[in-house]
Amino acid sequence: MMRNLLIIFLLLFSSVLKAEGVPAIALAQVSIDPSDVASIKRGGKFFATNCMSCHTMVYLRYDKIAQEAGVLYDKMPINVASWPFGIRPPDLSLEADVRGDDWIYTYLHSFYQDSTRPTGVNNLLVPNTAMPDIVAPYQGTQVRVTEKGSSALFHAYQWYDLLVLDKQGTMTPEQFDAAMTDLVNFLHYAASPYEQQQHRIGWWVLGFMLILLVMFYFLKKEYWKDVKKHKK
Amino acid sequence: MTPEDKIDLKRRCFLRRATSTVGGLGLAAASVPFFSYWMPSADTEAAAAPIKVDISKLTPGEQLTVPWRGMPIWVVSRTSAMLATLPKLDSILRDPNSLEDQQPAYCKNPHRSIKPEYFIAVGICTHLGCVPTYRPDKGGISPDWLGGFYCPCHGSKYDLAGRVYQGVPAPLNLKIPRHMYLSDTEITIGEDKDGVEGAE
Amino acid sequence: MNKLTEVKKTNRFMDWINYRYPWDAFMKKHLTEYYAPRNFNFWYYFGSFSLLVLVSQFISGIWLAMEYAPLGDTAFASVQHIMREVPFGWLIRFVHTTGASAFFIVVYLHMYRGLIYGSYKKPRELLWLFGMSIYLILLLEAFTGYVLPWGQMSYWGATVITSFASAIPYVGKTMLIWLRGDYSVSGVSLHRFFSLHVIAIPLLLVILVFLHLVALHHVGSNNPDGIEIKDKKGPDGIPKDGIPFHPYYTVKDLVGIAVFLLVFFTVVFFIPKLGGLFIEKDNFILANPFQTPEHIAPVWYMTPFYAILRAIPNKLMGLLAMAAAIGLMFVLPWLDRSKVRSVRYKGFWTKLAIVVFVICFIGLGYMGLQPVTPLRAFLAQVYTVGYFAFFLLMPVYTSLEKTKPLPEQLTE
Repeated sequence: MMRNLLIIFLLLFSSVLKAEGVPAIALAQVSIDPSDVASIKRGGKFFATNCMSCHTMVYLRYDKIAQEAGVLYDKMPINVASWPFGIRPPDLSLEADVRGDDWIYTYLHSFYQDSTRPTGVNNLLVPNTAMPDIVAPYQGTQVRVTEKGSSALFHAYQWYDLLVLDKQGTMTPEQFDAAMTDLVNFLHYAASPYEQQQHRIGWWVLGFMLILLVMFYFLKKEYWKDVKKHKK
Repeated sequence: MTPEDKIDLKRRCFLRRATSTVGGLGLAAASVPFFSYWMPSADTEAAAAPIKVDISKLTPGEQLTVPWRGMPIWVVSRTSAMLATLPKLDSILRDPNSLEDQQPAYCKNPHRSIKPEYFIAVGICTHLGCVPTYRPDKGGISPDWLGGFYCPCHGSKYDLAGRVYQGVPAPLNLKIPRHMYLSDTEITIGEDKDGVEGAE
Repeated sequence: MNKLTEVKKTNRFMDWINYRYPWDAFMKKHLTEYYAPRNFNFWYYFGSFSLLVLVSQFISGIWLAMEYAPLGDTAFASVQHIMREVPFGWLIRFVHTTGASAFFIVVYLHMYRGLIYGSYKKPRELLWLFGMSIYLILLLEAFTGYVLPWGQMSYWGATVITSFASAIPYVGKTMLIWLRGDYSVSGVSLHRFFSLHVIAIPLLLVILVFLHLVALHHVGSNNPDGIEIKDKKGPDGIPKDGIPFHPYYTVKDLVGIAVFLLVFFTVVFFIPKLGGLFIEKDNFILANPFQTPEHIAPVWYMTPFYAILRAIPNKLMGLLAMAAAIGLMFVLPWLDRSKVRSVRYKGFWTKLAIVVFVICFIGLGYMGLQPVTPLRAFLAQVYTVGYFAFFLLMPVYTSLEKTKPLPEQLTE
């Protein structure tokens, strides 16, 4: 029974994904610092309070940083049987690997009012997205305009070329950008929690290989003196 | 023959030794991840965390078995009659005074527990790892049997404080895990008042 | 005076061994008295690299199999378990995934070396056939391994590739079900691919590598000049242009290996996904039988053949063309009618043909990665023609063209 339900959800979800199509706008670039644990934890806290009512993060179950940020497995919506609009929100553990950091950052910035949608909002990056605008209380509401500024003459449109802030939320645009950067940093961490250790060891390994290379080079040169002589 | 034509054996030997040493160190370092890989993973460690056991429903003389880290942990509620059997056996036990390091310091006493009435132990025979059975029945194993634990595998016998008899294959007393009382009716296995986690 | 007068220490342990097992004789035959041409260049590193990657894949693979769970509903999660919860699991997995791509890079360059210096020509035909068999088996190993993470690309890759069987007339449909063990690709298919990937195919690979090396050491190594060093021996019976493999080529290979590992570890530690080329983005999504990813392409090392498949607008013919593309590589020794081996002494047409072939092969590889457009489809067809022309016209241009005279001894 559960299996059948899941299949139905997946079917519904897949039809939504198909409708997404190619992004019409350029991705805004987010500058995150994956070594900034405080930022990751702020992002994790934002996730736990705002995203975790719908999205799971199952593969972070045993992760210490996530636990400290309040992203706890027991509180994730694991066994929810029915979802509004019949769509199961995807697990976000690997979202940063699937979509990329910039994509998530842009997506969270590109919600706008659209009364034709059941959620009341639409998204520039994912037209007809099923996700409600959960960042509205912070960012405020945006409306879509045909275009503003001239940056689009030479480049694809950025989200801010097409959207204007209608009513500001509890955060200023700068604060909102910072909060979203933290959130993306957390999602980036969620997808590759090993990354800091990976880079740290990586420098040691490359340094060691470089030393070994020099040593091998001199060893080879020494032995090949015989071959040079042999040729004469 | 010019001088630089000569093979500098010393230099060659030095280079060979130096590269082998550094290369060997590299291989040794490369093996570290492969050794670490075999250690318990984060989820296994989480499953091995200390557990809480509710002993409020335990009636006197009864045994409760809870699984912890894949081991049976016993909680036996000992009556005063049972406790009275302990000193009588001292002469036929291997280690009546618990000199071997098979219990935390706070259980190194005649009844091998924090509170005399509750006996807490790892239910694994110290001979070859079988699980002994709880036999409180007097005369059950032999006519002079005063109650205790009996291992069905090779006949090792322990008294009601988990102390091993002489003349049986098991060499040591039953292991007492680190534990503490959270209240009169709840205990934690795998962590104690000293703040030390684990079984040892 | 300049003779190496190393004092031979008497070693009773080794004497004991050698009396019972030909250890010293073996080492002499294959290392210290195996004479290789002294003019090996850059292209001669890739054989050693392949062996190194093979060993690395074996060890990292054995370790991965310790924590991987090959069932439909556990596979994806167990890979994440390795990446996150197992100590250094991420490292071992990235070594394995990077190793898979590295394997094909070094094997392709190794094959290219054989191609330009004529290392497949008499008496090295069997050596070439064993090598080609290794390549073919390696493609199977890579495919079965690619299914195991059980992401979207794994699933749909398995679906597409097993579907090849359905093009076979009469038995195709039954064979498809037989291959998958189910009416579509499922956990059953995953489990059997796991078994093949970790036991059957690696065993076959080891046997073929052994045969490849035995053949090599029987006929001796070719060289960039393509002449036999055994033809010119000194009074001591040693080829004049030969040097003992050990220590000269072992120390030279060590330098190459250090450079190779520098590049390899840069990928492993800093760019293991290589922008979706080594680990595809869609493979971070759990396999979903009800939704095909928008853009599906095999991993880069299979794309030349995938592009040939797509270039031909007929299912059976496309598959036959793809099989022929690999098959023609096997018969290369009998297509080349030239009197000389190395491209250095071959004529203009061979040189042109090799340039065309390389452009077509890389072009096909690139096309196979991209979504189809009419222009790309046309280009893929042009490249396909070029690819086949290289092989099919080879008997003509190699026998007609004028070759340069061969030197008596190695030129460098």
